[in-house]
Amino acid sequence: MSEFFTRLGDGAAVMMSKEDIRYDVEDGTADAADRGQIPELAKEEVDYLVEILTMPQKNVSVKRGHEGIMTFDAGTLKLPVRAGIPVDRLATLMIHERILCSDTMELCTTDYSYKSIKNFVQEEAMTMELAQNNCVMPIFYGAMPNLGQYTKPDGPIDNWSELLPMGKIAEAREAQEEAVEHAVSDMVFITGQMAEAGACGIQFDTVGASGDADVLAALMAAKELKKRFPNIGIEMGMAGEFNLGMHGQLEFEGERIAGAYPHQQVKMAEKAGVDIFGCVVNTNSNQTFAWNLARALTYAKACVAAAEIPVVVDAGMGVGGVTNTNTTPTDVTSRVSKALLEIAKVDGL
Amino acid sequence: MTKEEYIKAAIDSMIKGDEKLAVSVMNDAIADGVDAAELLSEGFSAGIREVGDQFGRGRMFLPELMLAADAMKAVSAIVEEEISKKGGTAEKKGTMVLATVQGDVHDIGKGIVASLIKTQGVKVIDLGRDVPAADIVEKAVECGADLIGTSALLTTTMGEMKVLEELLKEKGLKNKFKTLVGGAPVTERFAKRIGADAYGEDASQAVAEVARLLS
Repeated sequence: MSEFFTRLGDGAAVMMSKEDIRYDVEDGTADAADRGQIPELAKEEVDYLVEILTMPQKNVSVKRGHEGIMTFDAGTLKLPVRAGIPVDRLATLMIHERILCSDTMELCTTDYSYKSIKNFVQEEAMTMELAQNNCVMPIFYGAMPNLGQYTKPDGPIDNWSELLPMGKIAEAREAQEEAVEHAVSDMVFITGQMAEAGACGIQFDTVGASGDADVLAALMAAKELKKRFPNIGIEMGMAGEFNLGMHGQLEFEGERIAGAYPHQQVKMAEKAGVDIFGCVVNTNSNQTFAWNLARALTYAKACVAAAEIPVVVDAGMGVGGVTNTNTTPTDVTSRVSKALLEIAKVDGL
Repeated sequence: MTKEEYIKAAIDSMIKGDEKLAVSVMNDAIADGVDAAELLSEGFSAGIREVGDQFGRGRMFLPELMLAADAMKAVSAIVEEEISKKGGTAEKKGTMVLATVQGDVHDIGKGIVASLIKTQGVKVIDLGRDVPAADIVEKAVECGADLIGTSALLTTTMGEMKVLEELLKEKGLKNKFKTLVGGAPVTERFAKRIGADAYGEDASQAVAEVARLLS
């Protein structure tokens, strides 16, 4: 076979030669190494990745003994909201546990931000209690810090995205610092309610979506929660492979947050008391699947090497090397899973 | 200083985001007989591209990018003044209507693109986010825009760019406005497929494409 079925970053199917696939794998790992200042994949890892990418099977799987933990962020949004299946959240959790074989799962709501949830947290707590009574797997509660929600007109603070283009940099920074205080307070409050309802853990999802202040809020909340609820599990999933510097000067425990890559992000998370780290690498739609997966593996491998806590890699649409398509192709997701577990040695997906 | 030294100083002023330094470099260069337009293109523009690249790598941050954009605006104004003093007219500029498409509320990237395009002397009318195609077209007609730029972060909303293209064709306006598309799930192939005139993978490429479309 001179050419192999593979895909572009936007999911389009293409046929490529093994040489071209290898070229993209080498280019992808070099790009990650250059940006993250981390080692490239070793030659034998590149060889094995090329082998995975060119396996003739439509779907591939891990070797026995390399299985990983499977969980879902935005968990209870997958079936009833995104797939449009008319099941309630409890049924969703049970389907994931008993049919889809999830090892852990996140209970969440469509208003996926801690600020919004404050208004109906008691109802969420009741659902959590019901879920805990009906499921065996650990169930987390999760949402995003979503600092943007604290800006006018949704919140009390001036919008730094409007202040920055006006050159009001000091004001934009002050606004972000103020938003951090509100977000920490909300995240700690909601986790307290969920802990009382029996939640096994709390998940901070898409951390950094509003920049480095968003990351600081999640880290500070985690630190406070470890003091108040030492037995609750804390999972932190990121928004991208580096922390976007909307503020640029914020630090956590003496380390600048902006610009931190996964192997640095995980160390900050550990210092804050986070128990499980969610590594995120964004997919470039213009590059090939081979390029994107090699790049994701390079970041994930460095993150796992640096971590002392379990690392799960976000392997859904547009992240972790998975193509940017609404319904992700299984030839892609199965190869991503195999490569992340066997080459990057991640603990779960 | 030699021209090469001025170019280096111009790049340096952009990386530092130092408006005063940038203006001083430009004024000194003009006094020394260096061509202002050349210094803008080879020095300051190269500098802001470097800032954009460092931002994309997480080594420079949004406040620094904004400072550099302000410095660029200041030196661009000096160049325009210099050209008009010599009796010429500045390179053709234009008006661009920019929006994040309907159903999509992600506008951090679009804001960065808007700031960098403004540094090139292009008037940017930013309609914000979650903007219906009909509103974008209406505004473009109202302000006599040359360009329409749209951004989408979601695979579920990028189809709105096609809606815009079809609306322009339906209203007989396709040849009146050039269209530029961008955003994480958007690709050059998608841009061609829907009939957009240009695609920007990142802010730097968007700036280059705007310059090309207006030339």
